[in-house]
Amino acid sequence: MPRRPIRHRQKYQPLMFSSFARSIARLNSISTVNRQKHDFQVHEKKLPGNSAGGGLMKNNMEIKNEESESSDEEEFDELVPAEFLFFDPKPEDFHGVKTLLQTYLDDKEWDLSGFVDLILEQTTVGAVVKLEKDEDNGIFSVVSALNFGRYKDNKCILELKKFLLRVCKEKDIIGNLRLLLGEEAHSVGLLVSHRVINLPPQLLPHIYDGLFNEVSWATEDEPTEELQNSFRFKFYIVVSKIYKLIKHANKKRRQNNDSDEEIVYVKPEDEIFHKLSSWSFSFPLQTQRVEHHELRNYRQMGLVMAIEAGKISTFLQELKSSIDES
Amino acid sequence: MATRLQFENSCEVGVFSKLTNAYCLVAIGGSENFYSAFESDLADVIPVVKTSIAGTRIIGRLCAGNKNGLLLPHNTTDQELQHLRNSLPDQVVVQRVEERLSALGNCIACNDHVALTHTDLDKETEEMIADVLGVEVFRQTIAGNILVGSYCAFSNTGGLVHPHTSVEDLDELSTLLQVPLVAGTVNRGSEVIAAGITVNDWTAFCGSDTTATELSVIESVFKLRAAQPTAIVDEMRKSLIDSYV
Repeated sequence: MPRRPIRHRQKYQPLMFSSFARSIARLNSISTVNRQKHDFQVHEKKLPGNSAGGGLMKNNMEIKNEESESSDEEEFDELVPAEFLFFDPKPEDFHGVKTLLQTYLDDKEWDLSGFVDLILEQTTVGAVVKLEKDEDNGIFSVVSALNFGRYKDNKCILELKKFLLRVCKEKDIIGNLRLLLGEEAHSVGLLVSHRVINLPPQLLPHIYDGLFNEVSWATEDEPTEELQNSFRFKFYIVVSKIYKLIKHANKKRRQNNDSDEEIVYVKPEDEIFHKLSSWSFSFPLQTQRVEHHELRNYRQMGLVMAIEAGKISTFLQELKSSIDES
Repeated sequence: MATRLQFENSCEVGVFSKLTNAYCLVAIGGSENFYSAFESDLADVIPVVKTSIAGTRIIGRLCAGNKNGLLLPHNTTDQELQHLRNSLPDQVVVQRVEERLSALGNCIACNDHVALTHTDLDKETEEMIADVLGVEVFRQTIAGNILVGSYCAFSNTGGLVHPHTSVEDLDELSTLLQVPLVAGTVNRGSEVIAAGITVNDWTAFCGSDTTATELSVIESVFKLRAAQPTAIVDEMRKSLIDSYV
């Protein structure tokens, strides 16, 4: 994908296509969060005739970004309106979604293309976030919920299950995991949610509201009863990444590093999910990340969590309140 | 024959490898599958060398080469330079180039006779390309893109260019390069041709997302099916049969 001219992307750096560049952008955004204050005004327009599976634009949001300080690398001080639109997944979104999911299973070689195809085929539940009138067709975020039972014969899902069972080193959890991936698979959904690291957090409640609404609409709107039942999830499994404190590095400097948290969550919703999860485990990642000096005592780990479907409404409320506060 | 493969879930094989008629460079890391795919096809014919350039794995985009030579960017380390000089055949001249545009693989596309280069390349670099690689150099654009090394891939037998190249441009380039050209895509619609495919005169490697249609276009334009009996018979048929009664 050719790069867009930088002048259209004040503060939102150009789309990153290597995991190295994305981690740099990620570390940059972590360090700038404390420095700058952003005033966001969110206008939400709900289009008439909004229904699951129908209509191209489900949500239309305008976000005005006001800079209180000018940045040192780029000298734009004006307002840059950015309109993010939510779409049903379409086959032409393949490359953008694949780029976002590149490191989903760490460095394991698996049928990622098949997995992306699965997400794009399920148009009733799942969404991609794009800009209006973007010639590059850049995907900023993708969300979906895939039923493990419905897709149990797909190569990518088999490989994913094998991977999760392999990296789970905690004996008391692996039994639960095996149960959810095996016998209970028909009522377990894989919650896939990936986005560019600097997507405005105001979008998060809408992204998740949209997804869980679609899930409940699908239980009524799907053509066959089998498909309707496949969306009556009892559990959701989330595979994500976190930064964990390396214990031994801190023993000598306890007094300086009291403010260090045990876990730094790359995505804010992961913290809420983790709190509400029935069980979770973390596993070491093989891919090396560039360590920002602020994160020098942390190591990046993968995190797998299982959340009961009943807790989702609590999750949505807490997500909304935490985004409103920040 | 064209082979489909992946480098660590990435289908951009042209980024992590460089294939010529005299040698093949492969990036370090990735699984052994990537390296062995090249080895199994090429091992008895040309050396397959694992290397990094400037400490990175994107070697295909940083260097430019053909059977006569290999050009490396200014930030190649001395160890890497020595390693390459040792591993490559003696007739291949390995040269480090002091050029501001250091991603030589994105700026230069070449086969054993002709090279297309970025319009802003230094005069000294152009002379060095002509010297080291033994080619005639043309400054060109492809479908309005100055990164000619990214948007086309060509060998001594054929070439694939950016899908939006106009017919006039295709004709002009084809006359310059003296090989048949086709505008197409690789890796399921990706326009960055050289990132998705690496090719020499008898074999090609492309990303595993490449569709069957794209693969057949690649095999026909680069004449990779030449060894198959049916092709030979078809060629002979024209000379064997005088007239249909």
